[in-house]
Amino acid sequence: MPLFSLMSWNPSGSGLTIAWLLLPFLAAFLAALLPRLARPLILLVVASTLAMALAARLGWLPSELLLLGPLGVRLQVDPLASPLLLLAALVSAAVLVEGWGRDPDKPFLLLLLLLQGGIHSAIVASDLISIYVAQEVVGISTFLLLVQGNRAPQLWIGLRYLLIGNSVMLLYLLGAALVYREQSSFALEGLEQSSGIALALLLVALFTKAELFISGLWLPRTNAVAPAAVSALISGGVVCAGLAPLLRIAAAVESVGPLLRWIGLASALLGLVFALAERRVARLLAWSTISQMGMVLLVPAAGGLYALAHGLAKAALFLVSERLPAVSLDAWRAQALPWRHGAPLLLASLSIAGSPPLLGFLAKEQLSVGLAGPQAGLLPIAVLLLSVGTAAVYARLWRLPSNAAMEKEGKPASPGARLLVAALLLLNLTPWALEAWSTLMGQGMTNALLKSAGLLLAGFGLQRLWPKGANGFRLPDLEGFDDLLGGGALMGTALMLLLSR
Amino acid sequence: MCCLVSKKSIVGFLNIRLVCEFMAILDAIDGFRVMEGLLLLTVFTGFVGLLLRRNLFLKVMGMDVMGTGVISFFVLVAARSGFRTPILDGNAVVLDGRDWADPIPQAVILTAVVIGLSIQALLLVAITRLASVDPSLDGVQLDQLGRD
Repeated sequence: MPLFSLMSWNPSGSGLTIAWLLLPFLAAFLAALLPRLARPLILLVVASTLAMALAARLGWLPSELLLLGPLGVRLQVDPLASPLLLLAALVSAAVLVEGWGRDPDKPFLLLLLLLQGGIHSAIVASDLISIYVAQEVVGISTFLLLVQGNRAPQLWIGLRYLLIGNSVMLLYLLGAALVYREQSSFALEGLEQSSGIALALLLVALFTKAELFISGLWLPRTNAVAPAAVSALISGGVVCAGLAPLLRIAAAVESVGPLLRWIGLASALLGLVFALAERRVARLLAWSTISQMGMVLLVPAAGGLYALAHGLAKAALFLVSERLPAVSLDAWRAQALPWRHGAPLLLASLSIAGSPPLLGFLAKEQLSVGLAGPQAGLLPIAVLLLSVGTAAVYARLWRLPSNAAMEKEGKPASPGARLLVAALLLLNLTPWALEAWSTLMGQGMTNALLKSAGLLLAGFGLQRLWPKGANGFRLPDLEGFDDLLGGGALMGTALMLLLSR
Repeated sequence: MCCLVSKKSIVGFLNIRLVCEFMAILDAIDGFRVMEGLLLLTVFTGFVGLLLRRNLFLKVMGMDVMGTGVISFFVLVAARSGFRTPILDGNAVVLDGRDWADPIPQAVILTAVVIGLSIQALLLVAITRLASVDPSLDGVQLDQLGRD
């Protein structure tokens, strides 16, 4: 009954938003009864989310929604949420078309709907408890997607993900209780005055969910074991669910800004070093995700666009890499690469490396604009070096596709990756990018183009000159189950020490 | 018989005295702070169990202890303003100066209880399946599964 009273239409906003948030869950229920409907329902959810993302970007909706009174649920469908919603919708669509022939009686599509619902809520939720609930929905549906294959490694990886995810969310809940004890409210604004311990507990959980620094170390093994579609969802959608609350906290609590920058920088560096030393493709992509998520955190205001560009490209890379037989990088270089796989692969990785006219270029430029300023110090230079490193990481995947080779054999082109790469190009013409492009034009395009070309060349050169001796260098294995828990504990302790005031 | 009863009553009396004295001490040093500390200790103990136990089942139990601590902490936060159950009787006045418990944390933690329960059920199902790989459920052994 309260549901209907909430939905009694005031079409100007709240009813629409609530209907949109409920749609995936109702669709999942329907798809459980009538599996044949699952595909059109997912398309419907994707279309509604695209519409909401556009409406949020253009400010057509009231940006804040308070349900059930001042202590109740608070939702924000605002410009911060917009690019993340867009990313989640596009990646879901790509995963759907990628497995279009998939048996609809299998629960994959149903779980995809649940995951979509969780991600949408997590992106727009802006009070501590709604964020908690949404994170747990995302966690449970990701776990179920991970264990779909029912093989022992997948079960173990899924279990690891859920156990660690839930443990850190318990810490989050404890942090929320401390905030409530001090502020008598679960609103994010209260965090500014709340104690450092509460903030540290909240952040350590969100760092794990957003795949950052040592809290994100669960990712490489997860991506190596998971099917490509699930990996694409994790790096394109699930990560948004963790990033959105972090970006909201960064916007609400000014004092936490420098800390987030340092964590972002550390994460970017850690991911980069491990990606340069990695020998398997899926794990290289995962390490690069950890590195790129760190970059997102450097300038939270530009973070949405950066996450969008990265998520689209990374999901495309996962979808393409599954269609190629090689798993290790050595075999990767030896295999023939036909254009139908080579083109999306090159475009997506060039986008992450920051090559125009792809969306990644614009995101990188926005990032350096956001970093410029008198207090930035050495940060712009550090970001420049990290960008060279990123280009070097992806240069490890690059080779010229050949026309003759393997044209007949091998798997057909990946429709999902095509969709995502098309989005990387076409989104430049939409409201998400047009404004940034016009400011960039105003500041002088030539400099930006030259910088980008220099970065790419430097990265490529670095990769060429990299010592090929045996395995490059060996790094410690930090990804055991106990290492992950210990890493979380270390992170939590460090945050408490840093934030105690 | 009488002896036994008197002994029992004396012991009982002593116990009551002890409890009373303990409560007095608690009153002096703010019982809420003590309870809070104990509950935080519970959460910490659960985390240590999660970290140090090799057996997967015990790890999940450790997580459960953590959850228990967190839930009780919410209940404690709710009880700060009073112990009376916040259920209205008809049109009773809410702000009548009586010591109502805060309903918000209680309502919120109900969701977390349900979520915790369902996650634990999922974890235990996964553990049952993994038991066919390694019946001893040794976390270190199972960790080899994700490696290549």
